[in-house]
Amino acid sequence: MSELRQTLKAQIIEQLNLEDLTPADIKNDAPLFGNDGLGLDSIDALEFIVLLESSYDIKVADPSAGKEIFHSIDSLAAYIEKNQ
Amino acid sequence: MKIISSIKINSTQILVNGVSREIPVAEENNWTKALYTSLELSYPKFYKMDSLAKMAFISLQMMEKEVALSEMETSDVALIFANSSSSQATDLKFIDSYTEKGSPSPSLFVYTLPNILTGEISIFKKWYGENIFFIDENFNAEFFIDQINFYLSKGSKACLCGWVSALSDTEECFLFYITNEEGTLTENELNTLFKQ
Amino acid sequence: MKQFFVTYGGIISPLGSTIEEHFEQLSNGTSGVTVIENSGFNQENWPLGKICFAAPENRYTYLLESLCDRLIEQHGSALFSSDNTLLIVSSTKADIDALPNDTFASTREIIESKLNPKHSPIIISNACISGVLAINTATDYLSSDKYDNVIVIGIDALSDFVVFGFQSLFALSDSPSQPFDKNRKGICIGEAAGAVIVSKAKLETATFSALYCGGSSSNDANHISGPSRTGEGLFRSVNKTIERSEIDPTTIDYISAHGTGTLYNDEMESIAFYRLGMTHIPLNSYKGYFGHTLGAAGIIEVIASMIMMENNIVFKSIGFEETGTSFPLNVITETKSHPINTILKTASGFGGGNASLILTKES
Repeated sequence: MSELRQTLKAQIIEQLNLEDLTPADIKNDAPLFGNDGLGLDSIDALEFIVLLESSYDIKVADPSAGKEIFHSIDSLAAYIEKNQ
Repeated sequence: MKIISSIKINSTQILVNGVSREIPVAEENNWTKALYTSLELSYPKFYKMDSLAKMAFISLQMMEKEVALSEMETSDVALIFANSSSSQATDLKFIDSYTEKGSPSPSLFVYTLPNILTGEISIFKKWYGENIFFIDENFNAEFFIDQINFYLSKGSKACLCGWVSALSDTEECFLFYITNEEGTLTENELNTLFKQ
Repeated sequence: MKQFFVTYGGIISPLGSTIEEHFEQLSNGTSGVTVIENSGFNQENWPLGKICFAAPENRYTYLLESLCDRLIEQHGSALFSSDNTLLIVSSTKADIDALPNDTFASTREIIESKLNPKHSPIIISNACISGVLAINTATDYLSSDKYDNVIVIGIDALSDFVVFGFQSLFALSDSPSQPFDKNRKGICIGEAAGAVIVSKAKLETATFSALYCGGSSSNDANHISGPSRTGEGLFRSVNKTIERSEIDPTTIDYISAHGTGTLYNDEMESIAFYRLGMTHIPLNSYKGYFGHTLGAAGIIEVIASMIMMENNIVFKSIGFEETGTSFPLNVITETKSHPINTILKTASGFGGGNASLILTKES
């Protein structure tokens, strides 16, 4: 469980070029998007879609569902576990 | 025109209005992160920026500790920036994303334009003023003074100007703030501040 | 505000390589956008505004060299090497395939060898508003009496870099783009080079000149890649341009809009034009003819607008059938004879930039 979360954090840092951050800077339940969290936006959501497809073989058919799936590391991990 | 403040930063130097400041200790040569941390800011968007925008953002924060830029009306400040290498460092990373790493990265692509940094400054300051980004072979004080004169004569009350470069081996930012107050700014003065 | 003359310098696009060819193709409603096989990152066949009448090894240097040749054919070489002439180049990615070397080096070299200018060219790289900014900057230099003539070149060539980039943003349309239409799906990238000459006095070599009245830029202060939801920067820039132009805004009888064909950009423009009280003014986007030519767009779209003015004709906005923006715009659906006296040109781009300028007919 938490192994997936750790991997996800590392992958997000790599995929989104957040090279100044470490996995420890990203909390499991903190919002990834908006100014309260990591400050990610719609462009970064595209990166998540690419990440899910390339690393987990999951296609997000409905991009509008992305908002809930990509809310936090927890919600992302739950979605991957459910769909893999 | 009157020069109010200038900031120059690179990995080995911090100059605030021409006066040298101590450089914070950087881990893994990440000098921009060290500077950001030392300023005790909370602006998560910083981590997403490319090096050009990061340097411009940090320099702006350092300048704001010296002068109250927020006293300006939202449309009063023109942003006049230049460099010699456009967005080269990010361009190369973006090419790497599709030649080596599997697929073109949208979050890199949006930074493959040098003027994105003026967008980042405008967003942070809520400034709706005029913006322009030039590519020149070298820092040219005469050129900047011409441009400042143009924008002040067209109605801007101040110009935030900068020379910001990011190549794989060199990163530097020189930011200076000019207002329409009585005063003179010579090429020599500007060159001295840049070359220090 | 002093007025300046704007004269055709030259244009090379998928529609041809002379002003006359462009007049003919635009009048016929011909689109330069064609399906290019395997142009996508995953070998998609994207429709692109690709120049197919030449197959140069380096598309950028070909475009720039050809444009310089056209400039000299039309205006003679003395103008370009005069001490009173300045050159300004607008380009977003220039010779991108030169990386990791300087992508702007060939620009300087070609201009130096072909046009032999007295002063180093000034280069503007400010995303999709570069072309309009370059014309505005030209008039700054003329106003300050530093020069008598400014040659403004806008240029960008097709590259994997740009096509893959817009593909990664899901911003490309898989059919020819349809600016302002209900069914618009995105951008078609294009390539072109164009030049106008902005001068204090009318050039003897000019076949037609429009008068520049004023221009400005304004940032959205909202997002680095997404258009503002309120059209704030465009709204502010157009207002400032009208103020500087010292014209009665009710005399504007045509808008050459940016109109990329993306959902958000075209919607943003409709909001800005609504706020400006300009939704009734005839408007088109040239992106259906040329594709989106980035740093060339502002220049070639000003040239196309001048062709309209010269020939008293309005060109339909290719790809538009049904209103697809919150505030309906008066999009031109039929190419027809119609006098144009005052043109508003707008542009918006990444980095939150917006720019505009106004041209009028010589009276």
